[in-house]
Amino acid sequence: MFATARSKIQTWITAGAGTIAALFVAGLMGAFGALPAHAPPQLSPDAAIEAGRWRLQPVRAYVSHARVYGVALKPGQKALVLEVDMTNRTAQSDKGYFNVFTPEGIALPDPSPMIALVRDSTLTPELHPGMTERMAYVWPLAGDAAVPANLAFAVTAEIFKPHDNLYGTPGWYNPYRLGTVTLPVADLPEGGQPQSGQSGSGS
Amino acid sequence: MSAVSTGTEAAADRQAERKWRRRGLVALAILLPLTLAETSYDSVREWLRGEDLVAREVAFGQSVPFGGSDWKLADLRGGKAGRLPGGAFAVIATFTVTIGDPDLQKQWLGCKLMLTDAAGRRWLPDFISGVSLPEGTMNCTSAIFSGARKGDTVTVGDIFIVPQDAVKTIRPAVGLSGERPWYLRFQRPPK
Amino acid sequence: MRIRVLGNLAILCATVALSYGMQVTKPHYAELTAPVPIDGAMHDTVRARSFDVRLDKVIFARRLKTDQFGQEKLLTTSGLWAVVTTNLTAVGTSTTVADGTWQGPTGLRYHQTERLGYRQDMPPHGVDPGLDKRGLFVFEVPPDQIRGARLLISARQFGPLDAQARISLDGLTIGADGQPAGILPEFDLDAPPSQGKS
Repeated sequence: MFATARSKIQTWITAGAGTIAALFVAGLMGAFGALPAHAPPQLSPDAAIEAGRWRLQPVRAYVSHARVYGVALKPGQKALVLEVDMTNRTAQSDKGYFNVFTPEGIALPDPSPMIALVRDSTLTPELHPGMTERMAYVWPLAGDAAVPANLAFAVTAEIFKPHDNLYGTPGWYNPYRLGTVTLPVADLPEGGQPQSGQSGSGS
Repeated sequence: MSAVSTGTEAAADRQAERKWRRRGLVALAILLPLTLAETSYDSVREWLRGEDLVAREVAFGQSVPFGGSDWKLADLRGGKAGRLPGGAFAVIATFTVTIGDPDLQKQWLGCKLMLTDAAGRRWLPDFISGVSLPEGTMNCTSAIFSGARKGDTVTVGDIFIVPQDAVKTIRPAVGLSGERPWYLRFQRPPK
Repeated sequence: MRIRVLGNLAILCATVALSYGMQVTKPHYAELTAPVPIDGAMHDTVRARSFDVRLDKVIFARRLKTDQFGQEKLLTTSGLWAVVTTNLTAVGTSTTVADGTWQGPTGLRYHQTERLGYRQDMPPHGVDPGLDKRGLFVFEVPPDQIRGARLLISARQFGPLDAQARISLDGLTIGADGQPAGILPEFDLDAPPSQGKS
């Protein structure tokens, strides 16, 4: 009888210690989570950015008042255009580049941009492994929207999982903020044609 | 456990245990196949619903209820027409359908007109530039949205491309989601 | 008694070893449901589950000319255009063959181009039993991904457990510089299909 009572007490103590330890760790983690998060780092617009599936080399940003790369604008709209040289770093053709760039600090009527191949204005084509292509991200803006002279674009990357948790298939998951890249934004007047032949850095 | 039980009790225990073990094995033999059947039931049903597997033969001139309406083969004709690849024939099959249940969007869901040949090959409708359906004939999709009412008679048909070696034995057939795995296979019109 | 304990220990060890071995070698879901490859060579008829495919010729070009809605378009690329002509037939039932991939020698997968828009001779190819159909697959590939490449053709892009024809492109003539022989400066997709050679 005493033996069982003693073992019962032991069980209680063991379980209690485990619970206390778990609570302690959870509390610690919560405390760490409440700490101010690191601000995403500033990325240099002159160097290639390795962002998960993509290697990115921003070329330039500008505001267009006319149809740009086949993207028609509604009357009274203008468009924020970001041209980037993009390289698919993966082993297969891919078009998961929709959320790579997000302009910060301006109001967007529609947060999802139209993305066109600069070469021939094909909308959202697949990009093939290792073949660098210049892409244009086009965000329509209200005609009176103020665009700062230097605009920060948030860069989102994903991590590669050889086996995802549900099906065990390989893929790119868990998007995270890699950093921000700040580019000067030129204003192209009506009828001003973007010169897509120009290459080089973002100035 | 304290060893207080006597020898005879232990023997009885062992016997009972053996009996239960045997019952468990028998139960396993019954339950395993049942579990397999239960878990695969939905998939099997789903698969049968999607396949035209069992033919219901229909004599020429006969009208057969199928998917709430009466189906009859009206015409089957073939020939060289339009822009066709070499060795191919254009075939038009038409059916006269007397509407019974006018809810065609439900009854005719997954409507599929086909041609089958003696070897079991199947041809689905094709587009041939320069060949169109006879006046007043609709394909399945346009018939579903034609607003036909109960008692109406509509002509449903489609165009097929068939190789020369199959033309002699082709027979028209109709499949509908609600009737699968059964489908109608029509006798050819007598020459 | 001792023998029994030892025996039990041996069984336990064997079970642990077997379980570990099974865990380590367990195929993943993606592998279990991968397409079933069917290998073949150029100019041979490869029999996939629902269709037969024969690779007739491959033309390399620097630019592609195509007619889009009555407008002539000249498409450029940072690599080379590979225009693959195949002959397709359905096996049992009329079906579609929609997916082509150029697999480079190291396994990089170049999916068929999406820059051409709708064309009658481009995927998805509608195929019928007993009837030959000329079907094109067009790829953008870097020149160094041509020697030792394979062409993967399947009915759908994500076809678990469906057949995938894998045709090795070893019949291509490749020059000393690693570039394929006879690259055309420009290829007109709308010209009669006799131009160029395999």
